[in-house]
Amino acid sequence: MTRSPGELFAEPFRLHRRDLLALSAAAGLTGALAHRAEAAAPGQLTYAVHISLAASWLDPGETSGLITPFLLLYALHDALVKPMPGTAYGAGLAESWTASEDGLTYDFVLRPNTLFHNGDPVTSDDVKFSFERYRGANHVDLQGRVASIETPDPRHVRFRLKQPWPDFLTFYSGTTGAGWIVPRKHIEKVGEETFKKAPVGAGPFKFVSFNPGIELVLEAFGQYWQKPPPVKRIVMKVIPDEGTRLAALKSGEVDIAYSIRGELAEELRKAPGLKLEAVAVQGTFAVYFPEQWTPSSPWHDIRIRRAVNFAIDHEGINQALTQGYSHVTGSGVVPDMFEFYWQPPKPEYNPDKARKLLAEAGRANGFDAGFYYCDSSYANIGEAVVNNLREVGINVRLRPIERAGFLKGWGEKQYKNLIQIGPGASGNAATRMESLVVKGGQFVYGSYPDIDELFPRQAIELDRAKREAILHRMQELVYEKSLYAPIWQLAFLNGVGPRVEASSFGRIPGFPYTAPYEDITLKSA
Amino acid sequence: MSTTTITEVAAIRDTGRFRLLRSRDFPLVPVLIILTIALVAVFADFLAPHNPEVGKLAARFKPPFWMAGGSMTYPLGTDQLGRDMLSRLIFGARVSMVVGFTAVIFAGVVGTTLGIISGYMGGWVDQAIMRLTDAWLALPALTFAIFLAAIVGPSEMNIVIILALVYWTRYARIVRGEVLSLKEREFVRLAVVAGCSKWTIMRKHILPNVMNSAVVLASLMLGVVIVAEASLSFLGVGVPPPKPAWGLMLSDGKQGLMVGYWWLTVMPGLCIMLMVLSANLLGDWLRVKLDPQLRQL
Amino acid sequence: MRQFVLKRFCYSLLSLFLLSVTIFFFVRVTGDPATLLTEPGASEADIAAIHQKFGLDRPLVVQYVLFMTSLFRGDLGQSFYYQTPVMDLYWSRLPHSLLLAAVAMAFSLIIGIPSGIIAAVRIGSFWDSVGKVFALLGLSLPSFFIGLLMILLFSVYLGWLPSSGSGTPLHVIMPAFALGWYFAAAHMRLTRSSMLEVLGSEYIKLARLKGLPQRLVIAKHAFKNALIPVLTLAGINLVLMINVAVIVETVFAWPGIGRLLYEGISFRDFPVVQGVVILGGAMIVAVNLLVDIVYAVIDPRIRLGS
Repeated sequence: MTRSPGELFAEPFRLHRRDLLALSAAAGLTGALAHRAEAAAPGQLTYAVHISLAASWLDPGETSGLITPFLLLYALHDALVKPMPGTAYGAGLAESWTASEDGLTYDFVLRPNTLFHNGDPVTSDDVKFSFERYRGANHVDLQGRVASIETPDPRHVRFRLKQPWPDFLTFYSGTTGAGWIVPRKHIEKVGEETFKKAPVGAGPFKFVSFNPGIELVLEAFGQYWQKPPPVKRIVMKVIPDEGTRLAALKSGEVDIAYSIRGELAEELRKAPGLKLEAVAVQGTFAVYFPEQWTPSSPWHDIRIRRAVNFAIDHEGINQALTQGYSHVTGSGVVPDMFEFYWQPPKPEYNPDKARKLLAEAGRANGFDAGFYYCDSSYANIGEAVVNNLREVGINVRLRPIERAGFLKGWGEKQYKNLIQIGPGASGNAATRMESLVVKGGQFVYGSYPDIDELFPRQAIELDRAKREAILHRMQELVYEKSLYAPIWQLAFLNGVGPRVEASSFGRIPGFPYTAPYEDITLKSA
Repeated sequence: MSTTTITEVAAIRDTGRFRLLRSRDFPLVPVLIILTIALVAVFADFLAPHNPEVGKLAARFKPPFWMAGGSMTYPLGTDQLGRDMLSRLIFGARVSMVVGFTAVIFAGVVGTTLGIISGYMGGWVDQAIMRLTDAWLALPALTFAIFLAAIVGPSEMNIVIILALVYWTRYARIVRGEVLSLKEREFVRLAVVAGCSKWTIMRKHILPNVMNSAVVLASLMLGVVIVAEASLSFLGVGVPPPKPAWGLMLSDGKQGLMVGYWWLTVMPGLCIMLMVLSANLLGDWLRVKLDPQLRQL
Repeated sequence: MRQFVLKRFCYSLLSLFLLSVTIFFFVRVTGDPATLLTEPGASEADIAAIHQKFGLDRPLVVQYVLFMTSLFRGDLGQSFYYQTPVMDLYWSRLPHSLLLAAVAMAFSLIIGIPSGIIAAVRIGSFWDSVGKVFALLGLSLPSFFIGLLMILLFSVYLGWLPSSGSGTPLHVIMPAFALGWYFAAAHMRLTRSSMLEVLGSEYIKLARLKGLPQRLVIAKHAFKNALIPVLTLAGINLVLMINVAVIVETVFAWPGIGRLLYEGISFRDFPVVQGVVILGGAMIVAVNLLVDIVYAVIDPRIRLGS
């Protein structure tokens, strides 16, 4: 007689089943007692932010080359000149400015009666201090070109340059944090450490509390020079998962959810009350051919590079991944909102032409093209492109590499075959080509002499029209040589909930976030 | 009463081959599921109606055939790039089985070897291996995997290596524990007296006796590894697309859930669930049959 | 005994030292934080400035020595990304991780122990299968999938629970369940095997011979004894839960340590990665040490054996 020990106890064993039932009842009860939408406080705007908020973004002096810090700068701080709706040089704390004929001096006149959050007036002294304190992206270059800063009175500032520099205002207003003004007296009184923990600025919203990587709370600054912001309180919650952000938007926990892509964006269009708001950003995506200068490589043949161009279904991928909001410009590395942008012909999706070009190049049966390297956060784009390339016989395998590793490999020139690039740095056509096209650039695996020799010529050209002509010619050459196969200029898709009347998305060209904050309005309940 | 207990214990401890299969609680369904998945993996090339890695954008998000808009061209629908779900699931069985089994075996070989050496040799060798194991265990598995993925780059083989490197410690600890008690047993002592070398003893006498535990552990680890593969994909460092691996499909399709494209996740999710559940039920059963003393798994 | 404890303690320190070396050099070969703090295309001067600011321009050995000396002073350095002391970040996240782990542990025991007991007492019954399969299900599905399904059901459709974040008791329910379910299977297995062991022991047989009703035998005698190993494992798992909840924390935007570490890795925030891994490692090593010592106290053979 073999029986398991359990069977010896014939009496039914109910205790725990009952416990389980009781438990599930308790769980049900908690659910029933709950809670709907905590965000509905009047005047409060709640964001679901996609990226971990860092304390350094609260301080313009630390602004790295990323666009993300500007997410907070536009709320907390103000600049002399900053990109605003309709213009890359919008008047902020400066009411006017002039550049001298020789390009050596820039004069700014500050607006009267502007205040920092602590009540101190904004003066020319603060402007000078902020510029000299700046330690973020390009600070060596920027500060190195300035000979002196003069502050004749509290409302006037004069920058004297060592040599003419046509890009001075580009750097001072848009791409760095040097023109964003911090209060000198306050910082000197409380010290850098305290300032970093509880920053004081001159922007439309003032600092309330911050938990790094988790949550930031801001409050309207009633004495903002332009007008008191209609939104009374801003709460930014970091929610790293895309699906969760959409869920929070749908359940009313947040009012604006950043970065909702692909299928989720489709849901934004379908769901009642929600809006999809898209912004084309400065990130230009393209396929780079690092082996085009290697005669033995198939990519040396321009026909094969052009075949890639015809094989990519730009619009189809655009529809599938970004709901058609990305810009299919045909430009490889320069985004269409940049100064000196040259518009290439629209790309054409034509697999037959691609196959024909391959056949002409002696690759009628396709070929094994090795790897397609990409940043794994954009593997979805890579996957779609690889899908297209395989359709015409370019058999390439996707190699998505986690961002840090990818940037390392790309910058150290370790990759062969194909690389999917997506540079998002601010600047203009010249700065983009400097790092991606011209000999010596950080991501340049090889270059063409005719392009290289044009570059130094534009850098010293003070005549804007002539400079533009040179930069246009350079972009044309990039296009003709199929240096890159352009994919698109990425659209950043966001969700906006029913309480928001005007979100400010897309008002500043190329800026992915909601700004100006002082123009955001909520529907009156 | 006491005779009954003795037979009971005998029944549990009985390791006779025939008894195993004839036994009343043999997990028939799980075994059949695993066999089916294995067969599908082997014959994927014949079974799959489409190329699993290339799709047509025009045919994206087609639902399964029984839903409005579905058709028999794509019996289980298509994914975000218009690839056939059925074909991807079929080839996914192969990728997941290969990744799962190889990783478990690699981890098993490394862990068992180190466990035996550590347990039998004792002394500083034991200390060195155990300290390494401790330090290794203290490193969060996924952290470690992300680092490795960043260094070696993602590919199917690298994922196998990563998973093996993450999970070998479990074998090492358990096998070492077993070896410590085996060392004191008569047959090992006799072998020492008979003049067998250390390596011979480890290979011929210790290894066969720890195999049971290793096999049980492997069957339980299979599930852990398959789920870990999915988690790696969620963090963006898993099997590189467009390769169809179930974990990758689940992670890629998760956004579709909110939009109503449930088949993108439910199908691979179901496959993973069946596979992992079966492996675990089989492992649990094996454990009771082969090695009732094995507890902390 | 004192010698044993001392020896074990030294071994633990050795393990931690190994861990610190591994993590320190490991994190440095995988990427450059400067490239992640700027857009691709940043000037070399900027990259160099960032390197200098973080002390990354010094030789590796010097960096390691500096790191270790400040570690002994209890200073883990300043986060590159957040520009905040790592200790501050860690202490602000730890309570959340502890809460999540504690509730998750409660869930996993609530699922694991009853199903383990049923599995031991009523092998092969319907409830055995139900309990077993339910416990194993948590192991069979990645937690991100379970999490997303729950958010969809309880936040979007039913509106009962907040989808993400922390703050109220309601916030912790879903992440804790998603995390705890995974560990339920382990607790079920151990409960079952230790129940079986205890039920087969002379002591229980004696209780039964005395004619005690079986429910009482199980509830009072067997269960109590079988619980010891389960609680030991639970202790170890609790520490694991604190440190490995990355995915659950990401899905539910829970401000715990796992996410801090994961983001640290993504941004190559060396001080954060080092700090979190070493503190987490210390926790794990300490618990293992504690278990070793407790077992040695209970069973002197272990002490002599090692």
